Amino acid sequence: MAELTLVEAVRAALGRALEEDPKVILFGEDVGIDGGVFRATDGLVQRYGFDRVRDTPLSEALIAGMAVGAAAHGMRPVAEVQFMGFIYPAIDQLVNHASRLRTRTRGRLTCPMVLRAPYGGGIHAPEHHSESTESMLAHIPGLRVVVPSSPARAYGLLLAAIRDPDPVVFLEPKRIYRALREDVNDDGTALPLDQAFLLREGSDVTLVTWGAMVVETLEAASALAGRGIQAEVIDLATLKPLDTATILASVAKTGRCVIVHEAAMTAGLGAEVAAQIAERGLTSLLAPVRRVAGYDTVMPLPRLEGRYMPGAGRIVLAVEDAMAFA
Amino acid sequence: MRKHMASFEIDCTAYLNADGAPLGDLPDFAGDTETVVALYRAMVRTRAFDTKAIALQRTGRLGTYASCLGQEAIGVGAASAMEPGDVLLPSFREHAAQLRRGVTPVESLLYWGGDERGSDFAGPRNDFPVCIPVASQFPHAAGVALAMSLNREKAVAVAIGGDGSTSKGEFYEALNLVGLWTLPAVFVINNNQWAISVRRREQSAAKTLAQKAIAAGMPGEQADGNDVIAVRDAVSRALARAREGAGGTLIECLSYRLGDHTTADDARRYREDEEVKAHWKEEPIARLRAWLVAEHGWSKTDEESLLRGAADEMDAAAEAYLATEPEQAASMFDHLYETLPGDLTTQRAEVSDG
Amino acid sequence: MTTFALPDLGEGLTEAEIVAWHVSPGDHVIADQPLVSIETDKAVVEVPSPWSGTVEKTYGGPGDVLKIGAALAEIGTGGAEDKGAIVGEVAEPDREITAGPADAVERTPSRGAGVSAAPAVRQLARRLGVDLSAVTGTGPGGAILSADVEAAGEGEALRGVRRAMAKAMTASGAAVVPATLTDRVDISGWGKDADPTLRLIRAICRASAAEPSLNARFDGTRRTVRERVDLSVAVDTPDGLFAPVLKSVDTLSPGGLAARLEALKVAARDRSLTPADLSGGTITLSNFGILGGEYAVLVVTPPQVAILGAGRIHDAVLAVGGVPAVRRILPLSLTFDHRAVTGGEAARFMAAVCSDLEAPE
Repeated sequence: MAELTLVEAVRAALGRALEEDPKVILFGEDVGIDGGVFRATDGLVQRYGFDRVRDTPLSEALIAGMAVGAAAHGMRPVAEVQFMGFIYPAIDQLVNHASRLRTRTRGRLTCPMVLRAPYGGGIHAPEHHSESTESMLAHIPGLRVVVPSSPARAYGLLLAAIRDPDPVVFLEPKRIYRALREDVNDDGTALPLDQAFLLREGSDVTLVTWGAMVVETLEAASALAGRGIQAEVIDLATLKPLDTATILASVAKTGRCVIVHEAAMTAGLGAEVAAQIAERGLTSLLAPVRRVAGYDTVMPLPRLEGRYMPGAGRIVLAVEDAMAFA
Repeated sequence: MRKHMASFEIDCTAYLNADGAPLGDLPDFAGDTETVVALYRAMVRTRAFDTKAIALQRTGRLGTYASCLGQEAIGVGAASAMEPGDVLLPSFREHAAQLRRGVTPVESLLYWGGDERGSDFAGPRNDFPVCIPVASQFPHAAGVALAMSLNREKAVAVAIGGDGSTSKGEFYEALNLVGLWTLPAVFVINNNQWAISVRRREQSAAKTLAQKAIAAGMPGEQADGNDVIAVRDAVSRALARAREGAGGTLIECLSYRLGDHTTADDARRYREDEEVKAHWKEEPIARLRAWLVAEHGWSKTDEESLLRGAADEMDAAAEAYLATEPEQAASMFDHLYETLPGDLTTQRAEVSDG
Repeated sequence: MTTFALPDLGEGLTEAEIVAWHVSPGDHVIADQPLVSIETDKAVVEVPSPWSGTVEKTYGGPGDVLKIGAALAEIGTGGAEDKGAIVGEVAEPDREITAGPADAVERTPSRGAGVSAAPAVRQLARRLGVDLSAVTGTGPGGAILSADVEAAGEGEALRGVRRAMAKAMTASGAAVVPATLTDRVDISGWGKDADPTLRLIRAICRASAAEPSLNARFDGTRRTVRERVDLSVAVDTPDGLFAPVLKSVDTLSPGGLAARLEALKVAARDRSLTPADLSGGTITLSNFGILGGEYAVLVVTPPQVAILGAGRIHDAVLAVGGVPAVRRILPLSLTFDHRAVTGGEAARFMAAVCSDLEAPE
């Protein structure tokens, strides 16, 4: 067991996948000798060679499209798009091909690819490097969207994604790439996809979140505990398909729900969670379902970034509103 | 029977060798001391800005910044050839071109320091801001050129991208259209040999990047990107072509990225110092200086005063930038739409400082 | 930090003049980047930085002559550090942050089934004071519906007369400042046929003449003392409490009064009282003693300012002429709105009532 950061856990999972399955190949911009711009693939080309860890030219549409082709023809490609902000040229390949290859060939051809991308804000980066548009991808039938929130979950979920027979977009919250450190057992054990993780038990309110916001949400839960409010914290992990059973069971117990995401409010994934609760859990509710989310503006440049990102304070306020709804 | 259908030739323009000695006859403008000194001054000013920006970043007062060290001749040469009515569409590394076009150092520092007001240029009002998603400026350039031609402006859209940008679909698509519709656009490629850690020969198997224009039915040529006279000459000819309605040109300027990809990159991870050292011998500022000294009476007093002037200007710009307070948080909403719609006014109120 | 000395420029030179610096202290330089222009006999040359780092200090300015080997600059070693991030800052942990346990926490089952009721239903229950956990739901999946809330619990939703009473009493309680005066009347002198209700009505009329202040209407700001006595008489029926008004009761003859009173009681019982019958009273009589009870603090219903209550007529031992004697007693309670009526006025009114009731006829 070693103490790993989230990005190190990603690297460990990639190494394990390359080790155990010769069909696994990695490619993307600067993933080879440079080891990836966040060092997620550091050292891998040296261990596994240039055939299996490849630098591509600067072409996201190509990277995604090549992954589709290789996956359909027996490989297990793990492609990287350097930042979610540059994933948009690849969306054509994801939506028009990766997500539907299996169904349109009635299972004859399948697409066991993983597309990894660092995502999310909070690192004082230049424009376009702080995107959280995961709900665009979660909208697509046939795509899986997975977001880890801790080193151990990054390791287990990435392995699961690579072994999964269908396409997965694996979004890595770069703000916490190195901020968290925990013991990760590099033994090849995967964690389940399509299942949310219960991080904290509580009876007064359900907090649903994912990615880097798990940190702020757990902070808020601690603060609330100090005020006698016990929050239950759920990390969705797989955004699509949603583990609604876990969400609904929790809301049935607490009667209150606050969804936290840094992505912009409107049509963010919180809206889907809220709709599920309204449809299937209405009679448990003691208060309206709330979303604490980014504003519906373009992510501002670093000088105003801090005013945009939801923090523990906003989460606590939303919970207190729910508790006071009477 | 096989009939030969097409060939192509790619020429490369160069006027001064690495030591600043002329390779042959020079273009007319190179005989005018004032013009040449202006080119030199612009390059020195760019380097002073670049140095200052890096210093600010290293002391935590600027965000991640992409240095243009060694590539000053490309932006200065291209921008010097442009008219005020032309439009520049830069990548994220073309500070030389932006500064020469009238973007102020303070504006540029504000942008890299994370303040959107940095892209609200007081000077070149129609120029595009920095473009980060690689190659996405090329389709923009095609659109600007289309508008220019429809409006019968005698203007040209000039987009600058790196060698990596020529691998993107948008580059090819834009090139294709400019060729097809004979649009007044000039695409300048700053081939500094590196796309982060991927070197030029790993970016494309094409012998030259200029020849990608041939596939689009457009002229393509190279220029020595470290020779500001060559760059200015090549771009001038291309602009003249475009202005008279003859369409676009792709100009690949050959240079070398002497600095790191950005202040967050350490290029020693993927290239040797020895390789970089060799390329310092070709750098554009020393080269032009040598010729200025030899042919235009450039004195050490001139040099000292220019360097001091540039340093002073950038010191003042840094001070002004650091003294600029961030905008109010509500400004996130103020330019989202012409009129902010209903629900968003509630969000704006929530975030307002008062 | 390392000192960079002016290197040997060749050709036997021992010194050189500084022309201009390309960098200032604080600037970051990379290896081979021009540091300074110096002039030798032959030409101005650039001196490149020997290594990457930060310029800490420079020696000499334009025009200064330096010897070969003299210190030229101090350059802190260390080039770009590997930040491990091509843009921005990806923070290392500087404090204890947690993203929750590695293994999923074991889910404990929720406590009890919980209450299944839509938010609006919950709000209704709160308003009606109904405990949802005691209600059986008849909706889908056992959900509690509004009808379930209304039907359940200790009481029922008030309707009709009871609801009106609740409303009226609430209004009274919010406005009136009640004070109560009690007394008892020795009615041992009354004849066998005396009708206490008629006697009480007459006493009120006589007292109103003597002390009109309690025969008034007060709306919170304006007081209207009436001459005519329109007496509200409390009538208890199986449907609830009614208070029909005997208009101009002071002008009625005893026979007329009796007949009128009986008619109103019948109308109350068979629910044929009109709104006109129930409004306009200037003072109220409650002969509750017929049912039971001695003294009572009654409720003044605005805009009235007084209510006289008569308790159970009974025998009691009084001091008469200094010795105990058994007498027939009628207990009286007078509750008045102290916003509009003084204690003195109430006492005088009560005295007049007692005086009239004491008379044998």
